[in-house]
Amino acid sequence: MTRRSLLAGSVGLAAGAATAAPFLLPKYDRVRRPARSRVAIVQVDEYSERLEGALMGAFRLFALNIAGKSVLLKPNLVDFVPGVNVNTHPLLVTAAAECFRRLGAHSVTVAEGPGHQRDTQLVLVESGFQDEIAKHHIPFVDLNRDELVKIKLCANYTGLGHLFLPRTVLSHDFVVSMPKVKTHHWSGVTLSMKNMFGIVPGAKYGWPKNILHWSGIQQSILDICATVPIHFVIADGIVAMEGNGPLAGTSRPLNSIVLSDDPVAADATCARLMGFKPERIPYIYEAVKFLGNASIELIDQIAGPVMAPDIPFKVVPEFEHLRAS
Amino acid sequence: MVDTALRAGLKSALIEQELSGGGWSYGLAATQAALEPTCLALLALRWDSNLARALGLKFLLRMQNPDGSWPAFSGDDSEGSGLTALAVIALINNGEMALQTERGVEWLLRLKGRESHWLWRWKFETTDTHVRFDPNKFGWPWLPGTCSWVIPTALSIIALKQGFVCCKPEQVSFRIRRGKEMLLDRVCPGGGWNAGNGVVYGVPLAPHLDATAIALLALGGEQSNGAIASGLDWLELRAETSSAPWSLAWSILALDAYGRPVEGLLARLCTLSDKGFLADSATLAAVILAIDCLVEGNVFKVIA
Repeated sequence: MTRRSLLAGSVGLAAGAATAAPFLLPKYDRVRRPARSRVAIVQVDEYSERLEGALMGAFRLFALNIAGKSVLLKPNLVDFVPGVNVNTHPLLVTAAAECFRRLGAHSVTVAEGPGHQRDTQLVLVESGFQDEIAKHHIPFVDLNRDELVKIKLCANYTGLGHLFLPRTVLSHDFVVSMPKVKTHHWSGVTLSMKNMFGIVPGAKYGWPKNILHWSGIQQSILDICATVPIHFVIADGIVAMEGNGPLAGTSRPLNSIVLSDDPVAADATCARLMGFKPERIPYIYEAVKFLGNASIELIDQIAGPVMAPDIPFKVVPEFEHLRAS
Repeated sequence: MVDTALRAGLKSALIEQELSGGGWSYGLAATQAALEPTCLALLALRWDSNLARALGLKFLLRMQNPDGSWPAFSGDDSEGSGLTALAVIALINNGEMALQTERGVEWLLRLKGRESHWLWRWKFETTDTHVRFDPNKFGWPWLPGTCSWVIPTALSIIALKQGFVCCKPEQVSFRIRRGKEMLLDRVCPGGGWNAGNGVVYGVPLAPHLDATAIALLALGGEQSNGAIASGLDWLELRAETSSAPWSLAWSILALDAYGRPVEGLLARLCTLSDKGFLADSATLAAVILAIDCLVEGNVFKVIA
């Protein structure tokens, strides 16, 4: 071997490594995945004052340590569409707030930054949220108009590097994602992890938060959830949505609330309840590498069976491949 | 018909909320000045010769990015906000036709929705057709590098129309024309405007009050057409049942600009304001602008 061929070989090797590295190196700073995750499914037929009792029973199974903590409930309030179940139901949110109070939470706040509708107060008033949270004396923060802090992202699927995020979210000890279980015409599903798009502030990124679409919805979900941990999930699947979600789909009763201490496990379970293969959802496929568990073997099902429906949820044609059958 | 004491009370509440260094934050207890509440507050106080207004103007001018745009809030990166148009409108209506205003206008003329690029236009015309819109008709985005949306487009048209009242350079006329075409292209099938497109996956989207109102304000002075008429009809009907001050305030400003009666809506807005239903200082300022429009003139009213 001559010196010239050695040099050429080294340069080639270095170039190859530099090209391949972005594809081979992990796009997250560290693995946060727990060894095992817990999921509970509570069967509920309707939205009523009895939700609090049902939730409290499930909370006890998780033995949550909430005493003295500030709890942030992040429901999915995307818009107000008369007659269509697009938002997390207010009765579920207030029931969760009361349960966390009973567990000794220092404070409970509801916060959301709707993605389409700039008038958050209108969504609150017209969806019945305002009256419900006022009745329970629960403070609400509009995350679209909150004070912002520049945060380095803990994963790099989008290449954005950083986001400005609301101080209210960052300053709470315990973040609870409370999605509405829905199909989504751009991302297949919208569950606990996609629900975190609502913490990205409209005042900076606009309505909708179009930069997340251009950066890739699945990629943005991963970057946001790697950066702002979801400590607990309470997913509203009592009346879910199928078809052309998140706004123009049709109601589909699932009669279930899905609770979990791992958002990946929660979303994988919801996907199964919708009749989808979780591993076919790109962000879940990627999230199992570092954020949580989707495999049934790694999830302790502490309440309720995971029953796939006879007929999977309807989706727009681009996401037909998600359906298990 | 508007209670003078209420007007004065709302204005002093707004003045009290100004931050010590000038500018307004959204939150009533927040300390981070933001562009939108600052501009709306300056518009609401435009006839007042008080210290708050002077301090606010100074702050707004100081906040401008070197490229002529404005950041969305204190501490923001310098890429510029789609609400830069609102800063231009605030400066024009406060008599600040200074170099900074011109630089803001120049930045607006440079900023385009991403769909205006031939590559993206081709994509939207051929492979990505689930959203019904014509990418040849573009306006302004919320953030550079993203698509055109109704509110930044409408505010930019208002800024350009107010900034060039008599003689418009060709580039200004072209952007106003394209922006108007974009608004008319994105109209919801039942009248009015959503955040952007009116139809997604073949399903019509529901219009929003504030987006519809701001789009109609931008189309003020234009020859009446079906989109304007149906938008006004929808707005008038929908505002009747709204009890959210932000949307109600913008609805009043738009309906007033088209000479539609607003007395009933004003009375409801006053009642809501009296009960303290104002979520933040941007809403407070918008409410003052709506309440004042019959007395002090409609700041968003434009001619073609």
